[in-house]
Amino acid sequence: MTAQPTPADQPAAGEPLLSARDVVQEFVVRERGGGKAGVVQAVSGVSFDVMPGETLGIVGETGSGKSTLARAILQAPRPKSGSVVFRGTELTKLRGGRLLQARRHMQFVFQDPFGSLDPKWRVRSIVEEPLIAYRTGDRAARRKRVDELLDLVGLDPARYAKRHPRELSGGQAQRVAIARAVALEPSLIICDEAVSSLDVLIQAQVLNLFEKLRSELSLSYLFIAHDLALVKQVSDRVAVMYLGKMCETGPGEAVYRQPLHPYTRALLDSIPSTEPGAARAAATIKGEPPSPINPPSGCRFRTRCPRATDLCAQEEPEPRELAAGHLVACHFPLNQPAPVATAVAAADAATGVTFRSV
Amino acid sequence: MTDALLQVDDLRVSFAVGGLEVRAVDGVSFTVDPGRTLAIIGESGSGKTVCCRAIMGLLPGTAAISGSARLRGSELLGLSDAELRRHRGSDVAMVFQDPARSLNPTMRVGVQITEAIKTHRAVSRREAQTQAIELLRLVRIPAAERRFHEYPHQLSGGMRQRVMIAIALACRPKLLIADEATTSLDVTTQAQIMELLLELQQELDMALILISHDMGLAASYADEVVVMYAGKIVEQAPAMRLFGTGGAVRMRYTRALLDAVPHLERPAHYPLPVVGGRPPDPTALPPGCSFAPRCASAADDCVAKAPALLEHAPGHRWACWHPCENGGAA
Amino acid sequence: MAVPTPDVTLATRVPPPLPSLVNSRRLRTQRLGRALRLWVPAGFLILMLAMCFLWPLVYNLPSSVNGNIIYSSEPPFSPGHWLGTNTLGVDIFSQIVYGGQIAFEVSVSVTVIGIVVGGGIGIIAGYFGGWIDAVLSRILDVLIAFPALVLALVIAEGLGPSEMHVILALSVFAIPALGRVVRGATLTLRALPFMTAARLAGTRGWRIIVRHIVPNILPGIVTFSLLGIGIVIILEGALDFLGYGIPLPEASWGSMIAQGQQVLTAQPEYVLIPSIFLLVTVVALNMLGDALRERWGVQ
Repeated sequence: MTAQPTPADQPAAGEPLLSARDVVQEFVVRERGGGKAGVVQAVSGVSFDVMPGETLGIVGETGSGKSTLARAILQAPRPKSGSVVFRGTELTKLRGGRLLQARRHMQFVFQDPFGSLDPKWRVRSIVEEPLIAYRTGDRAARRKRVDELLDLVGLDPARYAKRHPRELSGGQAQRVAIARAVALEPSLIICDEAVSSLDVLIQAQVLNLFEKLRSELSLSYLFIAHDLALVKQVSDRVAVMYLGKMCETGPGEAVYRQPLHPYTRALLDSIPSTEPGAARAAATIKGEPPSPINPPSGCRFRTRCPRATDLCAQEEPEPRELAAGHLVACHFPLNQPAPVATAVAAADAATGVTFRSV
Repeated sequence: MTDALLQVDDLRVSFAVGGLEVRAVDGVSFTVDPGRTLAIIGESGSGKTVCCRAIMGLLPGTAAISGSARLRGSELLGLSDAELRRHRGSDVAMVFQDPARSLNPTMRVGVQITEAIKTHRAVSRREAQTQAIELLRLVRIPAAERRFHEYPHQLSGGMRQRVMIAIALACRPKLLIADEATTSLDVTTQAQIMELLLELQQELDMALILISHDMGLAASYADEVVVMYAGKIVEQAPAMRLFGTGGAVRMRYTRALLDAVPHLERPAHYPLPVVGGRPPDPTALPPGCSFAPRCASAADDCVAKAPALLEHAPGHRWACWHPCENGGAA
Repeated sequence: MAVPTPDVTLATRVPPPLPSLVNSRRLRTQRLGRALRLWVPAGFLILMLAMCFLWPLVYNLPSSVNGNIIYSSEPPFSPGHWLGTNTLGVDIFSQIVYGGQIAFEVSVSVTVIGIVVGGGIGIIAGYFGGWIDAVLSRILDVLIAFPALVLALVIAEGLGPSEMHVILALSVFAIPALGRVVRGATLTLRALPFMTAARLAGTRGWRIIVRHIVPNILPGIVTFSLLGIGIVIILEGALDFLGYGIPLPEASWGSMIAQGQQVLTAQPEYVLIPSIFLLVTVVALNMLGDALRERWGVQ
């Protein structure tokens, strides 16, 4: 390949590969007719680091802003404010060709495998596209590289290179998207729900492919999904997002063994178990996420939190490091006893939502 | 056998697509007892949805259907539209995956529930509205009177699915089919909806068919599990037998589905047991076992002859020449 | 757990493969219908084109302009004039052939101009968006607001009737129509994930337009244009009928209908024959468009 690693190009040991600080992304919500109805802060002040060779998993439900965050990291579109430093380069200040060069080592795999492949292109051209865009090698070299890449993702070039996306299954299409993502030998791949739309057996195949590429190409992943079990399985560290904010970040094992944020606990309890009879925790979380146009004051989870008190409504909890690398943004984390005066009823009354008792 | 609520016998459905025959469902038989929960599990294209749509009479006229599906002894297949409408809603009802598309976006949800009540029962508008609000309460929608006057787009996905369940329950059906009803929802919402369904099942003494691709859902919520592959049932057993300790899974396909569910107990970067290949082309099913091309223990006889689905142990049927021992756990 | 699995019963109980539920005749009919829907209109249009453009090269047709008054008003199937002659003795088949040439020339040129100019404007407006889109869309709006037929009349009146002027006049109608369709298609396309994917993969600007947008909107444009060609043939006929199209004495389908209309009760075939050719051609174009749309899965 033509990449010439310069000393400045490679992050020094101990330096994060990707570092996001206070990333904010907003959308203007319009009423019917075009009037401005309000501003949604889909991502509000999110910070995280991805170390070289590490997989950071981001979990969140619909409306948590996790996909918006992924796009903001890719500068497509650029975040409203905050900083995104990738391999020592601040991306939010770059434009045009310089942004393109800086982003070269950061690739992506999206959720819908068919949607992200141009239906009119053949597999070979799709995988070759980034090689052409970054003027890599001559035609023959590129073709050879495409064959190597297809081999790498487990597709026989002789059989698949000339196919159109519609002639592939969902899993094969996602493999093509992965081949395109690794074509330029990136150091970071951002996976946004990359296996969510695949059937469970195919999902396992693709997950194993991600693992294989991680060790063979020494990749880092930013692995975004709504399924905590899935994310935990592929990630070294897990971050939980709720309504545009990070609730909890920590080593995957610690987040699973000892969750500190009540929301993480609720997510864990909601996962159906394959052990029957294993007492199903009666859904510990009630109600629906509030509207992101008008998020609750203080802690954004307080309207659904069984431990919320008046303090949670008044003061927004700052992320605190309670164990090594384990951060939580909660006034009353789960390793501490529940607050005495639980004000759930008050919170419910305030939002006009009543929950039945189980 | 006579006390079964729903009895499906040798159900087969084919479509003619682009001049080729697609065998969507190929000889499926099962029964659902009153008040019980049956989970039908399979990948996309395994025929699980087509199967239930055939029972509901929801397939297009181009589908060729044979076999029988009897609800409390009366045949459902081959009924006229008018007869089907009588059954649908009052005896069996269905909830679909996509609540956004199943609701009419231009009508208030209350009106849609009221309509559903009025099509099945001769009641006054006022009476139907009262019942509609009761239904909204039944599915635990907070502030039911207010929601009654809202449009579907004003509701969240979970709320919309609750409204769909309310519509399905309008006539207190004896059987509710939930076709991937929680697949598009978030996990926390999924847990809420599943719990609601089980509670309603108790309250209304309904039988439930859960159609899903998620083994975890089947293990957590079903009494009986049917696993489908390429239009056929490949294994059927009580959930406790299939998933209990020392699980008695016999089919490698069932095992693979079970193993592929992400586990919280596994350490990070744990390599998943993988089944290669993909389901067979429904227009050209192999002569032998349709899972043989992907099966680790497939032998020559698997490719040559299709195994029959037989009851090898009480309540446990499977279709395999070389069933795995010890539940197939690696 | 001991599970009784008598191998003997297993070996003997191989179920025979279930017979097909869909009868093979229905499958064959389905395949045939699909082929016919495409090839009947396509075959007819190929025949029409061959008749209009190849026939006069191979066979010596009587003049479509000058007739001999001696042979006037001959009925169809007369020797040497198988569709008969008109009141001036001009061979009707020749008129159909040369009129058809004009109809195809005009409609295809207008559509090509529409695709190139209108499509170009539409892609640029849709892809770049912002103020470029605003300006170009307003231009298209202005053009679409012009009543095409009136504008054509004005052009014919001012510049004098000629084939070139008919093409020019009708292009004013085709450009905004195609422009809006292409802009809409481009806007839809631009929001799709593979466009984001292409941009993130590093492809930029014109390359995205040429390699991603054009191939994806082309099937839609082709099917739309086939309908467009039909409409232009009718409009061209209408201009001829009103006397503002192809100047007499040159033959065109529209002017044939106009002339025949004067003797409609006595000799309805003067109107009927060109009308049938016009109608069937337009219907064939529509059918071909629909068949292609079905094949390509265009909405």
